[in-house]
Amino acid sequence: MATTELPLPALPEAHHEEPGGIVDYLTTVDHKKIGILYIFTAFAVFLAGGVLALVVRWELASPGLQAMGENTYNQVFTMHGTLMIFLFAAQVTTGLGNYLVPLQIGAADVAFPRANAMSYWLYLFGVLIVVSSFFVAGGPAAVAWTAYAPLSTREYFQGTGMDLWIIGLAVVGVAGILGAVNLVTTIFRMRMPGMTMFRMPLFTWGVLVNQLLILFAFPALTVVFALLFLERNFGAQFFDPTYGGSPILFQHIFWFFGHPEVYIIILPIFGIINEVIPVFSRKPLFGYRAMVFAFFGIAALSFGVWAHHMFATGLVYLPYFSIMSLLIAVPTGIKVFNWIGTMWRGSITLSTAMLMSLGFIVVFLIGGITGIFLASPPIDFAVNDTYYVVAHFHYIMVGGLLYGMFAGFYFWFPKFTGRLLSERLGRWHFATFFIGFNLTFFFQFLVGLDGMPRRIADYEIERWTSANVLSTVGAFLTGVSVLIFIWNFWVSIRRGKRAGDDPWEGNSLEWVTSSPPPSHNFHHLPEVHSERPAFDYRHRGDPELAPVKTDPERDPDRG
Amino acid sequence: MLVAAGCTPQSVTEEGRAVYGLYNLFLYIAAVVFVVVSGLVIWSVIRYRRRDDELPKQTHGNNRLELTWTLIPTVIVLVLFVFTMQAQNKVLDQSGDADVNITATAFQWSWRFAYEGTGAEVVGSPESIPEMVVPVGQTIRVKLLSADVVHSFYVPQTLFKRQAIPGTENLFDLTFEKTGLFHGQCTQFCGLQHPDMVFRVRVVSQGEYQSWLAAETRRGAAGQPGT
Amino acid sequence: MTDEAGVLLRVSGFGIVAGVIYWFVSDFEALGAISLLLLGFGPGFAGLILIQEQRHRGGTRESRADAMRRFAGIPPQDPPGPKDLAAEDLGVLPLPTIWPLAASMGVAVLFTGLIYGLWLVILGLGLLVYATWGWLAAVNRENRYGRLQADTEAPSPQSGPTSDPRPYPDPGPPSGP
Ligand SMILES: [Cu+2]
Ligand SMILES: [Cu+2]
Repeated sequence: MATTELPLPALPEAHHEEPGGIVDYLTTVDHKKIGILYIFTAFAVFLAGGVLALVVRWELASPGLQAMGENTYNQVFTMHGTLMIFLFAAQVTTGLGNYLVPLQIGAADVAFPRANAMSYWLYLFGVLIVVSSFFVAGGPAAVAWTAYAPLSTREYFQGTGMDLWIIGLAVVGVAGILGAVNLVTTIFRMRMPGMTMFRMPLFTWGVLVNQLLILFAFPALTVVFALLFLERNFGAQFFDPTYGGSPILFQHIFWFFGHPEVYIIILPIFGIINEVIPVFSRKPLFGYRAMVFAFFGIAALSFGVWAHHMFATGLVYLPYFSIMSLLIAVPTGIKVFNWIGTMWRGSITLSTAMLMSLGFIVVFLIGGITGIFLASPPIDFAVNDTYYVVAHFHYIMVGGLLYGMFAGFYFWFPKFTGRLLSERLGRWHFATFFIGFNLTFFFQFLVGLDGMPRRIADYEIERWTSANVLSTVGAFLTGVSVLIFIWNFWVSIRRGKRAGDDPWEGNSLEWVTSSPPPSHNFHHLPEVHSERPAFDYRHRGDPELAPVKTDPERDPDRG
Repeated sequence: MLVAAGCTPQSVTEEGRAVYGLYNLFLYIAAVVFVVVSGLVIWSVIRYRRRDDELPKQTHGNNRLELTWTLIPTVIVLVLFVFTMQAQNKVLDQSGDADVNITATAFQWSWRFAYEGTGAEVVGSPESIPEMVVPVGQTIRVKLLSADVVHSFYVPQTLFKRQAIPGTENLFDLTFEKTGLFHGQCTQFCGLQHPDMVFRVRVVSQGEYQSWLAAETRRGAAGQPGT
Repeated sequence: MTDEAGVLLRVSGFGIVAGVIYWFVSDFEALGAISLLLLGFGPGFAGLILIQEQRHRGGTRESRADAMRRFAGIPPQDPPGPKDLAAEDLGVLPLPTIWPLAASMGVAVLFTGLIYGLWLVILGLGLLVYATWGWLAAVNRENRYGRLQADTEAPSPQSGPTSDPRPYPDPGPPSGP
């Protein structure tokens, strides 16, 4: 019951002198520091992408062109999508995974610490290359984040910005594959004794499946970028029908990556929710195995549904992709119901992390349900490429990803820093975010049904204005909520309440070690007999809660 | 979500009516699911708030329950799939000859509508919005082409769209049930002036259509395509 | 079969089955079928390798934690014991190094060179080769010194992760700083 007072031995002296400050971070091979670097870089990208989103909303607040010309607008929304999807969403969870996975499986580090550092630096350089396109002649790419050929070929879009875009994302792709090899190997090979696969925390499971998806999906992205780059710079003709090429080829390969990418983004978030809800309901996760199988069901199906992004092409076999897409609702439904099952008859504390998780369930539900609409080809014919789709995937991406990410931040911040984020500011953050977010995107469903296409700087139909104004107001409110979070971070990291090792009565191994953990993670590890080693350890000796008897010879308390 | 129901545009084509019905079916089921699930979430949060330090019963799962909530969504999804296929067959049905054949060509950044078998042709530009004139109650078969990049033909009130892909001929049927002037727009981002790729569909009576076609054919023969 | 191999083989099975079904129902659309089949074969390979490796070792897979423990002369614990030696105490955590940063910079410059010209490609390649060289030298040095205390030396020479028979020879002049 009491927050853990583990009888830990004193810290041994570090074996080597750590260089301090910036050099420390430039040369680090510690998965925790690399995780922090990932998170900070991704968050910076998120802020930049968020500012671009506000620019978009500003332009759309009324019909006509007021803030900027069409070209600038096209660049702005292209880079908004690029930054958010390619450079933020997958990497922020990779950062969390980097920090937490070795802790959760009781390892001292990842399998290949130096390669781990390399994947981070590749990611950073990829980001810098993409961002540098803002400063070349002609500016950044303006072809939407999907960069459909032939629009993105040299014939229709000149300028180095597009090439920098391709190259930067290719480098990020290499980083992703390298990082995935590393994390998968870590999870397969570095688990402590007793930590079987089916005792791993669900966050680790989420990261495992997510990294497997990266491993299988990113090569498709690399391929499509390679083809595009060859077409742009070396005269190849893959997408030009007059030379026997095929524009539809681009869409196929792109979405073979593109749909799994959605789950690359969302699976670790499921993992976070799976960690947070049991802790704040003070019950074990309901249906652990079903949750794991749901991960795999979603991941497998995600590779069979890419062409639901291409229903409107008229060139894909509709029933196959429709039923596969509809079926994703089943494992996703299992997850949602199991979360409710976890809370049922629990003892629920509404901390900010828990509020964010509940917010996640609600908005993700809306995103998921509208996804079912889009899996039906006739409905997709009606709403594809309109604001309906924009609203749908922002409910998944912004709703799903950001609520989960913030839940994770509030949950693990004390582990990362030794201090708690302010719960009072956290509640403000949640309230403004929840209202602002729904205001922004709910009305986009309506204006989308009414036929407003996405990716337009200007619209001639007056009745779309009111929804767009509400959307813009909501977007700025969401911006305020992010500022509140940053303020919370700023204040709490200096003067936040001391957290102790285990402020939430956590279940997984990271709550056993100190906050922040030592460079080699653990001085001492409890036995692992279930999927809740920290819980068992906290209740050791209690025959009802921790039935497995600890061998007295080996019990550190008595030894 | 219920608000959304009111805003689904009423379809003006025969094909679109099938989509409209399907959308509403999805919407009703979705609304029920949403209310039930979010109701359960809110209920458990209110009912099971932490009151004391006692640990609740540590249940790990319940196979029968989990099986139930695997099967129910599966059944719902299969039902939706069946209705989807029915609607889809109506929307994509191209059996029988069409009454009017139009070749619609998308280009950066407007549209060309050529009436097959006549010399009539309408060409637009970003500055002048082209109008596709069609007769009410007859089957219009559109052959969709692209002259450069990928575009998309979309008239919101038909509840239908189709991509115009270079090197590909895309055929679809529209049967308008109402006369009127309808807004249409490219929905696939196609470069700088994509938002200006607007067109109109003017649905007119049979007689009006014939006289329009005749005038347009004469103009086409004289080498001055209308706009 | 270990859980790990099971995961990979199931992904593989899904890819192959989905690929074959897709091939038929999509009226022999090749690109999607090939992508799905590749998805099937990739993890399948990895899974088979894991199984093969497990056979090779005579049925029990040794985790790296176990290997570390054995290396340190502590018997593998099953049922697991409460006390786990931290990896750093065993000296297997690598030292901080600048080479991953340098190598990434090389890759980034090399890729950017594809846009701006051959000279940049060569520059990037040079940096990458130099960084790789420095990286390997650093790894080599750490492996030889082992960062180990003598008292945690493995009981039998062939059992540790470093089976170099020379205990702590002079590493020689390493290339790179
Ligand atoms: Cu998708
Ligand atoms: Cu367009």
